[in-house]
Amino acid sequence: MYPQQIHDYLHQFFKENNCPILSRHDHFICVQLTIEMDKRIMNRPFYWKYQESTNEEPRPAQLTLITDKNKLVEDIKGEVVHFGSPRLNQLFQVTKEKGSFVQMYEVDPLDSKAMLAPWLGVNYKVSYSSNQMTEKLYSLGIHLMTGKVIDGFHESIQDIDLSATMQENTFYPPPIIQPIRALDRLDMVIENIIEQDDHTWMEEAKLRRKKERQILEYFYEGMEDRPECYEIEKEAIDQQYETKIKIEVLSGGIFYLKSSR
Amino acid sequence: MIIERSSGWKDGLVERLENREAWDSWTLYKMHYEAVKANLITDFYGLQCTKYLPNLTPLKHQLEAAETVIERMNGKAILGDEVGLGKTIEAGLILKEYLIRGLVKKALILAPASLVTQWIEELNQKFYIPAIQYKKNYDLNACDIVVMSLDTAKRSPHMEKIYEQAYDLIIIDEAHKLKNHKTKSYEFVQHLKKKFCLLLTATPVQNDVFELFYLISLLKPGHLGNYEAFQSYFSASKRHVEHDEFLKELVNQVMVRNRRQDTGIEWTNRRVQILPIDFSDKEKAIYDMISDLKNVSPVFSDAFSMITLQREMCSSKEAAFVTLTKMRQKCANEEDLSYIDAIIQQMNELDRNSKAEKAFEIISEVNDKVIIFTEYRATQTYLQWFLQKKGITSVPFNGQFNKSKREWMKQLFKEKAQVLIATESGSEGINLQFCHHVINYDLPWNPMKLEQRIGRVHRLGQEHDVHIYNLAVQHTIEDHILDLLYEKIDVFEKVVGELDDILSQA
Repeated sequence: MYPQQIHDYLHQFFKENNCPILSRHDHFICVQLTIEMDKRIMNRPFYWKYQESTNEEPRPAQLTLITDKNKLVEDIKGEVVHFGSPRLNQLFQVTKEKGSFVQMYEVDPLDSKAMLAPWLGVNYKVSYSSNQMTEKLYSLGIHLMTGKVIDGFHESIQDIDLSATMQENTFYPPPIIQPIRALDRLDMVIENIIEQDDHTWMEEAKLRRKKERQILEYFYEGMEDRPECYEIEKEAIDQQYETKIKIEVLSGGIFYLKSSR
Repeated sequence: MIIERSSGWKDGLVERLENREAWDSWTLYKMHYEAVKANLITDFYGLQCTKYLPNLTPLKHQLEAAETVIERMNGKAILGDEVGLGKTIEAGLILKEYLIRGLVKKALILAPASLVTQWIEELNQKFYIPAIQYKKNYDLNACDIVVMSLDTAKRSPHMEKIYEQAYDLIIIDEAHKLKNHKTKSYEFVQHLKKKFCLLLTATPVQNDVFELFYLISLLKPGHLGNYEAFQSYFSASKRHVEHDEFLKELVNQVMVRNRRQDTGIEWTNRRVQILPIDFSDKEKAIYDMISDLKNVSPVFSDAFSMITLQREMCSSKEAAFVTLTKMRQKCANEEDLSYIDAIIQQMNELDRNSKAEKAFEIISEVNDKVIIFTEYRATQTYLQWFLQKKGITSVPFNGQFNKSKREWMKQLFKEKAQVLIATESGSEGINLQFCHHVINYDLPWNPMKLEQRIGRVHRLGQEHDVHIYNLAVQHTIEDHILDLLYEKIDVFEKVVGELDDILSQA
């Protein structure tokens, strides 16, 4: 993420969380936190405990975040935020907690008597790891009437006009496939995708493990009573090259959409 | 194929479908997806960490080292760059990469006590890694990235507490301290579970090739075979390495070693010279009397203390005097006592130190900042007095100084004094790029100590050619030390690789 993207991200984040932006410049942003956000990100439980017990007027903090130190000409004191900085990681975490489940309805001002079909969209993160690791992101969608499954679901909806509330004069048929069942279906689809994937990495890791074990055996060759270190080393090698596949659901939701996709 | 899955999201969905929880905002939902995409690691290979560290500009050789260790050496390696090329940065990059990839959750960093705070600062400030300095009574379960001194770690009850933890990565700085397999430190590290492990040392071989064997056996037992095989294969004679190329290749499979000249950075030159010194007749007489001690009485026959005494005499009579008086206390018979007293008598009459005069000559000639390294505290004090008499300001420097005193002395040297007189233990972890003259007043047995000393000034940021003056008194034990140093450098170059000039341009 470039400084400009981070700047936009912060701006949007605080706006969305009802934290008033006190001043916004190109390379920094000054924001008034809400009580809720202060408790969440400022890490000062003692203050809030004190405030509650004394019933003093709550004073949530103001935060000045600098997004591009190099271009900053103003004399501003604040926290420098960049990709990888602890503050941004923390805000990513809050975004995750507050942005994992949605229910959205497509808006079409031209077609007032539309019939919208229900979909379940789920975003999966799959990771493969041994002594190395890599990740893949899958956004799957399943049509809750027909059971049709598509990949790249998020990309297909991210730019269309969606609303959190139902539109008037629009028909929303109830799903035939229950969302929970549909989720099970998608879970199977993703497993299938993984099974079809190239798993040379796994073979390589097993080979490396085997080789390392041979080297270790060589060291203790001919030794009757092997010392404790031998077992420790063996365990370390096993753990180092242990292959793991993980599936994590990041986010998803119910979407009522117009056109077939 | 076993697949691990997390079930949390499904429960959350049920909650919302049954209207027990509110749905989230579409904007935040999209932002979350965007953030995930930005943080996604889409390749087994390549370094991700650099994009998380926009304020750090690692050098090319540092990035390559990190990549090599992770990808070719599977995270178990000796980082053996020459002094001053940034091994800490390399280790930081590797740790950061593993943390980002989630392959390391808990890491233990073991460093000499004097470098612990420096590690904490570097990891936190340069790498945004929340490393904690270990204190007594800390609960290690709660510290994911912890830095402590090896000396603390190997002792009870800390040792037991460490063994209970499952560390994914262990980093050991100044790992040449583990060259001796009979020490408690070695045993401690041997019993640590080392999933990923980095050993940092500029000097993986100090005296003989077995040190390297033990170091590598700590990292990867069996890589150089077992002890018997290694010993018979590479010949029983310690300092004669056959099969050099094969051994070097094996070593290079687990060691990254950048040399100054391969870094692509313009390095200033090293101008190294050996300056032979002739004792005055009086000094020579005392030295000969000392050398003859072993023939005087069996009390003085201990070869080790004899050599010590000879070396001390090559340094200063003050240094020799300390040892000599200790010996005197052990003497029982009258003859031995009188012999020693005769030496002491001659010492008292001696009013000139040829080596110190030479050092003074160099200092006045260069008329610039100079660091003098000596092996002896008594010599350190003497030189301070001697230089002061000549109108030259100097400050002392010892490893025993605590951090603030070290900084203070460094500051004094930088701003006020012309000379810094350091003992051996002062040569770790202090950077003095503003100075470019080094006098090795006494020669150590170990060439790597010389390398460490020179590394204090010949490192990134040095703008001038660095001048090294090795002082050696002719026709004394120091001739022998020189020969040994050359031999050891030869072993190092055969199994590890070329070395920058230490003694003189051969």
